[in-house]
Amino acid sequence: MSSRLSRTTGLRALGAGLVALGLLASGCGGGGDSGDGKVTIRYSWWGAQDRADLINKTIELFEKEHPNIEVKTDFQEYGDFWTKFNTQAAGGNPPDVFQNSHAFLRKYGQKNLLLDLNAQVKAGNLDLSDFRQGLEKAGEVDGKLLGVPVGANTFTVVYDVEAFKKVGVTPEPGWTWEDFDKAVEKISGSKKDFWGASDNGGVMYLYDLYLRQQGKAFFTEKGLGFTEADLRKWWGDHREKSKEGLLVPAKQSEQVKPKSSVSAELSAAEFTWDNFLVRYTSETDKELALAPIPTMDGKKTGQYLSSLMLSASARTKHPEEVATFIDFMVNDPEVGKIMGYNRGVLPTNAQFEAYKPEGPDAMIAEYENSVTEYLEPITPHPAGTDTVEAAFLSIYGSVAQGTTSVDDGVAQFFGEAKTALGS
Amino acid sequence: MSAPAGTVRPAQATAAPRRRPRSVLWHAGALAVLVVVLYPVIWVIGASLKPGDEIVGSLQLLPTDPITDNYERLADGIAGIGIETFFVNSLIVALGSVIGVLFSCSLAAYAFARVRFAGRNLLFTLMIGTLLLPVHVLLVPQYVLFQKMELVNTYVPLLLGKFLAVDAFFVFLMVQFMRNLPKELDEAARIDGCGHWRIYWTIVLPLCRPALITSSIFSFIWAWNDFLGPLIYLNEPEKYTVSLGLKMFMDQDSLADYGGMVAMSMAALLPVLLFFLAFQRHLVEGAATSGLKG
Repeated sequence: MSSRLSRTTGLRALGAGLVALGLLASGCGGGGDSGDGKVTIRYSWWGAQDRADLINKTIELFEKEHPNIEVKTDFQEYGDFWTKFNTQAAGGNPPDVFQNSHAFLRKYGQKNLLLDLNAQVKAGNLDLSDFRQGLEKAGEVDGKLLGVPVGANTFTVVYDVEAFKKVGVTPEPGWTWEDFDKAVEKISGSKKDFWGASDNGGVMYLYDLYLRQQGKAFFTEKGLGFTEADLRKWWGDHREKSKEGLLVPAKQSEQVKPKSSVSAELSAAEFTWDNFLVRYTSETDKELALAPIPTMDGKKTGQYLSSLMLSASARTKHPEEVATFIDFMVNDPEVGKIMGYNRGVLPTNAQFEAYKPEGPDAMIAEYENSVTEYLEPITPHPAGTDTVEAAFLSIYGSVAQGTTSVDDGVAQFFGEAKTALGS
Repeated sequence: MSAPAGTVRPAQATAAPRRRPRSVLWHAGALAVLVVVLYPVIWVIGASLKPGDEIVGSLQLLPTDPITDNYERLADGIAGIGIETFFVNSLIVALGSVIGVLFSCSLAAYAFARVRFAGRNLLFTLMIGTLLLPVHVLLVPQYVLFQKMELVNTYVPLLLGKFLAVDAFFVFLMVQFMRNLPKELDEAARIDGCGHWRIYWTIVLPLCRPALITSSIFSFIWAWNDFLGPLIYLNEPEKYTVSLGLKMFMDQDSLADYGGMVAMSMAALLPVLLFFLAFQRHLVEGAATSGLKG
């Protein structure tokens, strides 16, 4: 009898607890669309607070001009952003509009997570007429418009001006790998704390360009565009140079992370995206500059424009408002003035002309102008590109640390790539 | 620190000459270990007083010229949100968790330890089994569930489980503790006419203080430090907890504000430290008294 009595009191207490929790929930709940005809859209991106400050300003501007649309923002660091996005997408609750990049278009396109924006272009909610250099097609996959660029970048060599001047090599359009290797050798010399170049053997985008210079590419429509022998040579050459003391050893470059070897003043040259210059120059007092990728024949760099984009979720209940939002973000000159090159060189002529770049931004603009004539169309990035990129970097990492041999590393990479690409 | 010294003194008095070198060695060894353990903390304190570009790359532990800029910048908030917002949010989650765990886990533990019912052992085994489930297996189904209930972007998904005794570890801890309490106490209470509820509330719970305090400390620290839960469920920076706020300082293609991040780390450490200091005395006391009962 006593046990029955206690069970009811226990339940009552539990009920009280749940009520308390309910109160807490109602206290901090909310969100969703309010009843006054106002539409709320959710917008997520990756970045840190500096980008958040700029984006918040552009959203204020947007909400002022479109009082019927409210934009709720949410941002994380790159890795966390995708963790959250994947969970939310799997749970049927992705943000209405979000930052995206080329590497993910096919992946999420195939899963039908992305809205085909072509319908909105036809309906006149999204204007693509003002994009620079064919960028309006950058987000197109198999005839569907899955993303709209908000900024464009190309690959580059960030180099230490003084170190290159000392050895008498000028990195300029048309320079060759031979010139590059010679400079690296001279700069490294017999120094023990400064090297000619960072060890970028694990950077997928650099190897992609190297392959493109030979008429191949990292990816084909479905799989990898190179053989195990190709990769053994690429990684083998890097190991060789590293053993000769020409490249920053893995131990040193790991120690200075999250700084890059160039901004940590260990290396005179590093291959990366041109917008990284903004961060690099903030981390060092040395004079840095940008140069195109060295070539094999003095002409073909293999470079292309890649971009950060805005994509809309296929599940959004407000495709029109989302399209209006994207249209505003890529076409409004004021937005261009606020954002600058935070997400890459501005995508439309109106924004490009409205913003007067200074400091590193001016160098990036000048660099992109100087390479425009060499740019080629981007090769496809199949679904699984992100996994392959991560595997390429981490496996080369263990090769560089000496824990894996080049041959084993190559075999391991091909195994993982096969799984990731499903081929 | 004062308690052990008091117990050691009489022993030293009898065997002082022989024991002194050994005790010096022992203390020197302990100090060396302490230095290793505390090094990261000292590094953070030192770094929070350095300008941003000296934090990464400079090998000096302490700043040559200490500055307070990093802390002053925190006062302006992160991305337009005052940092006190993050702390209030974290406190809601952490204190909510403590209350939920104390209440629900002790109740569940009481049932497992004191009430005989059919299938008790099976249920107990199943509960322990949930400890083996990786978080990632539950992540998506749980998200779908809360999403359907329209509870995403509230603190409910972070707290509901705590009020339903989902933390098997704490239930287990309390069950083990309750099993050691003398049965005669509840039998006496039962003879005096107490039901289960009253035995739980007036006899068992007060005796479980050490277990309750241990659980509070752990659940507070775990909830305070939890990153994945808030990351997945909270969609507006205004609702973010401290652990999410900490990550707002850097990204791969943004200017990284190391100074702000390190200063925020220091600030994030404080509440946990204070909570531990406030309850640590009870923890030691509890362990000591429960040992006496044997």
